[in-house]
Amino acid sequence: MSLIAILASTLAVVAVTMVATRLIGRNAGWLAAAGLGALAAIVATRVPEVLVGSSAVREVVPWIPSLDVALRLRLDGLSALFLIIVLSIGALVMAYSARYLSDRTVHRHTGYFAWMLLFAFAMTGLVLADDLVLLFVFWELTTLCSFFLINRSGRRASAPAVRTLLTTAFGGLMLLFAVVLIVVRTETTVLSEALIDPVWQSDAGFTAAIAVLVALAAMTKSAQFPFHMWLPDAMVAPTPVSAYLHAAAMVKAGIYLLMVFSPALGGTVVWQSILVSTGLITALMGAVFALRRFDLKEIMAYSTISQLGLIVALIGIGTPSALATAALYTLAHALFKASLFMVVGIVDQQAGTRDIRLLRSLWRRMPVTFVTTLLAGLSMAGVFPLLGFISKEYLLGQTLEPGGPVWLGVLLTATVVLGAIATFAYTGRILLGGFTDYRGTERADGDLDTHRMPETVREADPLFVATALAPALAGLALGPAIVVLHPLMSAAGSAAAGQPYTASFALFGGFTIELALSVTIIALGLIAISQRRRLDRLLERRVLSFTAIDVVERIRTGANTLGARIGDTTRTDAPASHMAAPWIVVGAIALAAVFIAPSAGTVIDAGEPWTDALMLALLVVTVVPAVVTRSRITALILVGGAGFVVALWFFALGAIDVGLTQLLVELLTVVALVLILRRLPAVFHAVARNRQVLSAAIALGVGAAATAVTLAFTGRRDISTVGQYFLDEAPADTGGTNVVNTILVDYRALDTLGELTVIAVAGIVIMGMLSARPMLAERTPDLSAWAGTALVRTVDNTLPIRVVARWSAPLIILLSIYLLLRGHYEPGGGFIAALVGGTGFALAYLGASTDRRAPVRWPYRGLLAAGVIVGVASGVGGYLVGSFLRPVRFGIPLPGGSEYGFTSALIFDLGVYFAVVAIIIAVINELGGVREHHARPPSPASRGSSADDSRTRDRDDRREAVR
Amino acid sequence: MSLALSIGLLAAAGVYLVLQRGMIRIILGFVLLTHAVNLLIIAAGGVARRNAPFFGGDTSQAADPLPQAFVLTAIVIAFAITVVLATFAVVGRNDDDTEAGAEAEAGAAPRTPIATAGDES
Amino acid sequence: MIDIIALVEALLPMFVGAPLLIGGVLLVLPRLARLRQVLGMVSLLAVLAGAIVLVALTSDGTVLVHQIGLWPGGVSIPFVADSFSALILAVAAVVATASFQYLIASGEARSASIASFVLILIGGVAGALLTADLFNLFVFIEVMLLPSYGLLVILSRRGNMAGSRLYVIINLLASTLFLAGVGLIYAVQGTVNLAELAGTGSDPATAIATALCLAAIAVKAAVFPVHGWLARAYSSTSPAVAALFSALHTKVAVYIVYRISAVIFEGDGVWMTAIMVVASLTLVVGAFAALGEREIRPLLVFQMISGIGFILIGIALFTPLGLTAGIAYMVHHMIVMGALLLVASAIEQTYGSGRLDRVAGLRNREPLLTAVFIISALSLAGLPPFSGFVAKYTLVLASADAGVVVVAGLLIITSLVALMSMMRVWADMFNGKRHTDVEVLAAESRIRSRRDLFDSDAVDADEVAAEAAQAVEQHAPPRGITATEEDPHGHRGTRIPIRLIVPALILAALSVALGFGGEFLIQLAEQASSALLNTSAYVEAVIG
Repeated sequence: MSLIAILASTLAVVAVTMVATRLIGRNAGWLAAAGLGALAAIVATRVPEVLVGSSAVREVVPWIPSLDVALRLRLDGLSALFLIIVLSIGALVMAYSARYLSDRTVHRHTGYFAWMLLFAFAMTGLVLADDLVLLFVFWELTTLCSFFLINRSGRRASAPAVRTLLTTAFGGLMLLFAVVLIVVRTETTVLSEALIDPVWQSDAGFTAAIAVLVALAAMTKSAQFPFHMWLPDAMVAPTPVSAYLHAAAMVKAGIYLLMVFSPALGGTVVWQSILVSTGLITALMGAVFALRRFDLKEIMAYSTISQLGLIVALIGIGTPSALATAALYTLAHALFKASLFMVVGIVDQQAGTRDIRLLRSLWRRMPVTFVTTLLAGLSMAGVFPLLGFISKEYLLGQTLEPGGPVWLGVLLTATVVLGAIATFAYTGRILLGGFTDYRGTERADGDLDTHRMPETVREADPLFVATALAPALAGLALGPAIVVLHPLMSAAGSAAAGQPYTASFALFGGFTIELALSVTIIALGLIAISQRRRLDRLLERRVLSFTAIDVVERIRTGANTLGARIGDTTRTDAPASHMAAPWIVVGAIALAAVFIAPSAGTVIDAGEPWTDALMLALLVVTVVPAVVTRSRITALILVGGAGFVVALWFFALGAIDVGLTQLLVELLTVVALVLILRRLPAVFHAVARNRQVLSAAIALGVGAAATAVTLAFTGRRDISTVGQYFLDEAPADTGGTNVVNTILVDYRALDTLGELTVIAVAGIVIMGMLSARPMLAERTPDLSAWAGTALVRTVDNTLPIRVVARWSAPLIILLSIYLLLRGHYEPGGGFIAALVGGTGFALAYLGASTDRRAPVRWPYRGLLAAGVIVGVASGVGGYLVGSFLRPVRFGIPLPGGSEYGFTSALIFDLGVYFAVVAIIIAVINELGGVREHHARPPSPASRGSSADDSRTRDRDDRREAVR
Repeated sequence: MSLALSIGLLAAAGVYLVLQRGMIRIILGFVLLTHAVNLLIIAAGGVARRNAPFFGGDTSQAADPLPQAFVLTAIVIAFAITVVLATFAVVGRNDDDTEAGAEAEAGAAPRTPIATAGDES
Repeated sequence: MIDIIALVEALLPMFVGAPLLIGGVLLVLPRLARLRQVLGMVSLLAVLAGAIVLVALTSDGTVLVHQIGLWPGGVSIPFVADSFSALILAVAAVVATASFQYLIASGEARSASIASFVLILIGGVAGALLTADLFNLFVFIEVMLLPSYGLLVILSRRGNMAGSRLYVIINLLASTLFLAGVGLIYAVQGTVNLAELAGTGSDPATAIATALCLAAIAVKAAVFPVHGWLARAYSSTSPAVAALFSALHTKVAVYIVYRISAVIFEGDGVWMTAIMVVASLTLVVGAFAALGEREIRPLLVFQMISGIGFILIGIALFTPLGLTAGIAYMVHHMIVMGALLLVASAIEQTYGSGRLDRVAGLRNREPLLTAVFIISALSLAGLPPFSGFVAKYTLVLASADAGVVVVAGLLIITSLVALMSMMRVWADMFNGKRHTDVEVLAAESRIRSRRDLFDSDAVDADEVAAEAAQAVEQHAPPRGITATEEDPHGHRGTRIPIRLIVPALILAALSVALGFGGEFLIQLAEQASSALLNTSAYVEAVIG
């Protein structure tokens, strides 16, 4: 069976089991167990192929060729070992789950099995991956599975789940960093090729960096100090999850990673020092902590941490034999720890608690379970003749000669011995605490749940216990039969060492120092157990004032606060505080321009007509007061004045149409703003002094920059080629003589189309805005003092202007139409015509005695739309002659022989005309508040619809109520 | 020279107003800024040639028509946006104040989600 | 084949024309809400289809050009579609369609002008992406902006306008600056035709003028230090609108940065370094600011800002791989951000609040929504096997490949921060408390929307609360079997209607597809980046 098939079939198991769960509930576990077991067997059949030397099976399925990422699978001794562990333990756990899960809340089991088996898939992929990226992908996949498995187990699980994810994801990102650096450096994504790249020898710095990153990744995954805290944290997950992920499989992913990278990184100082030190620290710490816990599961968790520490230290030593021993140790640990965890689950189910302070003399009531625990426990404690004994023996053997100075060996060995003694002690704690009356402490503290263990505890369902017993027995059997493991261990060792190696483990290696040490360990361990009460009192003191979890939480909250601080810097709706920065940047750029760019263009233009200076002066007298005044209306009028001066500038510079447009636009802007000002306070808001200074400084900076840039950038060249083209070709191309207008409606009609769209939409937006929200109330001046005088008799007061309006309006309309028609040839065109027309309406509005009487009631919404429609339609018409917006031209004979050169550009201009006229009417009616007073009856149309004003009114009322 | 100074003046005044408080001042500020930019664009075409760009007769002194077309478009767009801004000034809670946002909200609706602590007033 | 090319080229302007036309027509159908929605959706799909055709036609490196009005090159306004603009247009259309679908589902699209606004907006986007004329670009930016103002205000459920005002003002500022920059460019070079400007960045004056344009665009793209306004503005409107904008406005801005930097600067070292610095700051600041937020939407928007930084790293590297990575990330980010914001929309719509400390326990209430969220969130954080991983990996690889290992490390750390903020949402909103509190929230929001109250209207708030509590009491399951999270089958009380989830679901599915189909994503991005780098082809096509 090919590797890819194996990987795929693990996925198949997921699917099948999910379906089966719906049908047969928890018993689907048996199915899954069968599936994984079968796969394990299949792998076992493939093993012989990879046992000779360092041979391997390879398969490739492309995934992202552009990045040279592919589904590269590779089976060698190492991956074979881990694969068998993952699959077989997985099978056991699945079988175990079939009894562990309750047979009631079946609907939750689907997810459970799905994630568990998905995890099995991820691990399979991880150990088979021969592609750096693929390795990372599966690595993160295991992280995710663990996250979801923890997260779905109850409310209390949320925080631990998140902590676990963040810790392991951090490690994952370190791995990603390492992967990327390796890919860049070795220019291959193939793991096995990258590992034999010469760069590892040639570039020590690179190797060291990778060593650190990989070590970090593995340490988070295998819960090594200081990243150990997530593992006990994760114990909120159901026991099978802990047994599989957090004892047998996932935490082993870290070990696997370290062993995979050993060929490249092994032997380097950084690698050795990091791994050996953290490993041994963790081993010691975990063992001691285990002695202080009361929850059996927690004891197991710390025990796991401690055991993994020993393995990590072994990998750190890095000699072929050490690596082989690490492999053996991994297997041994997987066996006894899985068994132990399952036992805990059984006890929990039968006795209803896991707390050794509550558990009473179970050994009599649950003999089989007790025996299982005993076997697994002794293996963990390293007692003859179990598998654990051998692995511990050879571990000691390695620490005695780590290479390097003698004292190092002594130090390491001493630490390991200490750890081993502690291990022995907490094994005793598990056995005695769980199965006898030993309570582990004299005093009962808060977190002790008060409910007592039920009096009638019975042995569990044989099938249930059997699954736990199996690995324990395996540990017992493999001890004497260690020889059968030699081929696999040799292969694993050679793969990890990157050089051929033949393992030669023996149950009894003669009377060696190791043996002596083992005996000592057991002796001292027994003493520790006999003195357990004294030991407990000793350990009940808290060593540190904080736990690792506190640290993580501190980091998280710290990051959050930092983030909040950063957010605060911009947490305001005041535009000024958002605009200051860009202005400063712009000023800087512009000033830079003056220095970088060659300041061409004569600064003092001698030929400059005196009128220029005059207009500058006019600007000064309008703009400066406009800035300083605090009266809104004054400021508005002054700014309007400035606008007219600018119009003069345009005329002076030969921009006739621009000047006209500017004039009319200015007029309308002022009208619109006057309508607004009626609803606003008479004076501006006060602004703090220092802020005025600051903004003045910025303003002057930008102003200076603007002047400088104008001088430096403009007037450097003669008229642009395209400009000249327009001057020369416009009539020929378009038949128009007003070159600017031809550009607007012919050459660059698209700009104009966009612009008329902008206008139309602006009108719609205003209407929508005002129908969704009320305008502020008008602040009508108090005229009571003038009651009876002419001042309040609006009808009479507006008489003159109404007369004017009545007579002038038609004329203005005519004029505007004339301007429209001639626009192509003389100054005029759509805008100007429309703006002139618009002023007519403005006049009519001002002439009205009250808003109610304001005359214009046109469907300007439709007119706005018409603008766009006509514009685009004439553009589409251009396809008649080959292109969007290409003008269609023909002559219309006029009476008197002459003919009017018609062009579809005129229709386009008509669109502009509609839009502009419409927005003017819209502005006057909307901002003038005409619709406000002519609200139609409430319509059921939804909120924001510009078709109903009902809500506008009632919200108005509500707001009054608030005031 | 005068033109450059005019542009600078308009720009400075515009920036100053824009950095003040209250929609109306900001609107007026942008009006002035638009003037500045428009003049700049006209200047970009060169100020040496000042005749109106009409065909017929000699165009040797006619100004570059393209910037004029640009400015025409820009003016009208600016007008549209100004009107929208003006509308923004008169809808909403109190007046056109642009910096009462935070406390207006917090005061008006203690239950609203957006009243996050740290809102500057 | 060739005639098809010619046909499509001639029709390029219709990417603008058609939406504008239909948008205009829809404006005069105030009564026919259903018809408006259908027509709007149809035309959006048409744009999408057209964009896909463009992607297909340009995939072999062809550059489609149409000189609008058939005036000689250099005089007319050219519309250009290469695989870069085509790709971005297509993705923008996808997200726009999803968002509009949401607007329809949530009933917001019933308002008179919404459909038109969305269409005109997409038309403006098309114009901005296709035009090769800087002034025309300015015009289309405005065409994009005005309907956005409308959407922003009309669909806003917030009482006060501060956020919307801010949005309009900042964009006006950006446009003004951009226009000034264009003017300066014309002053120096005598043209605003992008093709004619190719490579002129070597001239210091032009470089300065272009820098001004880029600075203006950076304001629109919410690049540090001008990033904060985005969070304010996008949090003050309807969340669905925020989703729409995130895919259109900021991303079009980024597109412009890419295009201008590539064509005018041709990857000139100094300027690219400047972009690199700013981008790095942006992505870090955005990520941390997100972590500090207590509401889902500002949190997401800051994530978006951080994403802008990620994307800009691509152009700053200016290696083929870098550009590929940047573009791939852009595509991924548009999709995933849309999905996340639409998830936020669904939550706020139903439960009336986006506060992390108020909404809780969604994991068991809303299994489908939960799936969508977690997929998008992990994708955003760059975890496999989602599109985020492919994009992020490529980007990190590109940075390391270009020798800027620091930036690579920065990207990696930032991913962790992003994951932290996503987990914050997860722990608070999806895990957690009993359901009844959420029920009250939901009832309140129902009442508020029935009464047409703004979220921030304090008016009769207590009355609403009381009414809501009462309503919950009535629907509450009998004592004993209250729906706790151990029993997700307590199918009582409020649920988010499926139709509100579907749009986000589609986008999330897309993210998954682009993760497994990473090759496809990278291929598209590679084509786009090569088109971007091949300036000569661009110029040759435009000027002829």
